[in-house]
Amino acid sequence: MFGRPRRHRERLLLPGETIGRRRFLVGGLMGLALVAGAGWLALRRREDLEGVGGPFAVLAPDEAAVLLAIARRVVPPDFPPPERVRVAERVDAFLAMSHPGVQLDVKRLLALFDSAPIGLLLDGSPARFRSASPRRQDARLTAWATSRIAVRRTGFRALRRLVCSAYYSSPATWGAVGYPGPPALHG
Amino acid sequence: MAERGRILRGDDIRADVEERPDVCVIGSGPGGAVTAARLVERGAKVVVLEEGGAFTRRDFDMREETAYPRLYQERGARATADLAFTVLQGRALGGGTVVNWTTSLRVGEPVLAHWARRHGVEGLDGRALTPHFEAVERRLSVAPDVLQEINANNRALWDGCGKLGWSRSLVPRNVSGCLRLGYCGMGCPVDAKATMDRTYLADAVAGGATVYANVRAERIGTDGRRAVEVSGEVRDPATDLPTGRRVVVRPRAVVLSAGAINGPALLLRSGLDHGGRVGRRTFLHPVVASVALFPRPIEGWQGAPQSVASAHFEERGQGRMGFFVETVPIHPMLAGTSLGGFGETHGEVLSRLANAQAIIALCVDGFHEGDEGGTVALREDGRARLDYPISPALWEALREGNKALARIQLAAGAERVLSLHDPPVELRSEADLARLDAAPWEPMRVSLFSAHPMGGCAMGGDPARSVVDSSLRARGLDNLWVVDGSVFPTSLGVNPQLTIAAVARWASDGIAARAG
Repeated sequence: MFGRPRRHRERLLLPGETIGRRRFLVGGLMGLALVAGAGWLALRRREDLEGVGGPFAVLAPDEAAVLLAIARRVVPPDFPPPERVRVAERVDAFLAMSHPGVQLDVKRLLALFDSAPIGLLLDGSPARFRSASPRRQDARLTAWATSRIAVRRTGFRALRRLVCSAYYSSPATWGAVGYPGPPALHG
Repeated sequence: MAERGRILRGDDIRADVEERPDVCVIGSGPGGAVTAARLVERGAKVVVLEEGGAFTRRDFDMREETAYPRLYQERGARATADLAFTVLQGRALGGGTVVNWTTSLRVGEPVLAHWARRHGVEGLDGRALTPHFEAVERRLSVAPDVLQEINANNRALWDGCGKLGWSRSLVPRNVSGCLRLGYCGMGCPVDAKATMDRTYLADAVAGGATVYANVRAERIGTDGRRAVEVSGEVRDPATDLPTGRRVVVRPRAVVLSAGAINGPALLLRSGLDHGGRVGRRTFLHPVVASVALFPRPIEGWQGAPQSVASAHFEERGQGRMGFFVETVPIHPMLAGTSLGGFGETHGEVLSRLANAQAIIALCVDGFHEGDEGGTVALREDGRARLDYPISPALWEALREGNKALARIQLAAGAERVLSLHDPPVELRSEADLARLDAAPWEPMRVSLFSAHPMGGCAMGGDPARSVVDSSLRARGLDNLWVVDGSVFPTSLGVNPQLTIAAVARWASDGIAARAG
């Protein structure tokens, strides 16, 4: 879905691209945040990850938790909840069939999107996405969707597409959208 | 009468295979299948390599969750590198024809004249192509759709254009015995669609061709002057992962028909970049879409997906990019992944999907001075990378296209029209059209699409500007031909599958004469 260019270094780099100052800075910030927040996270982790489902072939449980948190805001309020549609498991199944480069890109993007320091730096919101309030979560999604920084809009579209393709391709959502499903063929 | 050939799948291939045919055809879409059939007819021993799987009607369960990962490139996730464009491109035995929405139009003669004038293409005019169009239309059962049988989604396009006084036409479709189920894009479950695997490829096999499905051509080896080897990686049909087996073909000639993205990528992986021209001038027919909510049910998931088109805006005057208008089927995933916004905004349309109607404007790229389209390059890991920068002229066409779509929908009786922007722009009457002028026309602020990748191996008369000559033979290689949509020096202005088949048939005489 997105990847590492060889011939386009002058272009804006995308989430998951390996080379470039932006990447280095972002990586550095994320590294710092991980060290600083490790103790706190160790305490939080257990309750954070309850109900993420699985087992997963590609996603780590905390990555699945971020994905589910995004899905809860992307899916309309009256629709079946994403965990019941097994959105994280369905995204995981898609990733398991995908190129390793795609898997890595998605994992990096989820970490970046969830990151508290990145949220603070870019949107003035110091919480991890998955533990922020619904109002703050919507604000961060909108900030990425409409950002002046092209790579954030790319990131938003990747996340929304992953969630929506996993969710709306499931027969469990057909009732909510009023789709009767494919016709039955006889003979 | 030659001995009948056969189709082998990845799980049939238990050991490494070496083949020494006359011709190795890479890809089984309209370019590869028609060429293979014609070469077999002339007595050539042909081997076809196809990276996609071999499916029959019983495999097509009409579910998006099965069809997109299985029948589309990159599991349905093909896109430009920045995700500004979603690219729907088929991947199966039969190529894109397996998932094509059946629109079968001939390229216009002005396009061919432009190619002759501006790109030095020789011998490819309406008169030369007409008998080939007639032949493929016969073989593919192409006939115009019938007004009384079109679905409500297409009826809205027909009625809207009628009210506005804009030109409209019924689309010719490559079907026979169509039940109008509405699932052409997921593989025809009743064998009504005349796909390549059921027509030209079947003819090739009947005449002795050997077809390998689940075999991905990795590299074309040359001795500097001639292509001497095609090496392919065998994949497991169930998982699509490499099995470790290889198919190595040592042919007398190679026909590359892998499409406008995978074809250039294969040439680049093989070190054949033709002075940096391979992968340049890639065209997409960039698509902007509009969704409308009607007071009545539309149920855009049923009925033939594309029955009506409008070429009213094909010519928009000097310096302006033309566009044509068609419909799209409406299924939950296709809709859910295309709409702008999220949460409640999504719910407004998705909870009323039965009343949703959708049409698209396809921009005709590649004709104006300086319109170089996009590029196909390689990522470090060998995968294709597609980039498509959007010029001011294309933004203008996308914006005006979106306005035309909204006007059609309002004229046809839509209550509300929604653009695919983030956030969506809403229109309830013509007075709201200015809102589309003010919308954020920026990459990744509006969902854009392509289902028609073309170019990247441009044909032409000037060796310094083209990858193949007017016989579709690669410059600098005596025995490699490129036969697919990648050879078009511009986009077509019509859905490309039929023209690719006709051009392949036109080129096949020359290929047979030189490769035989």
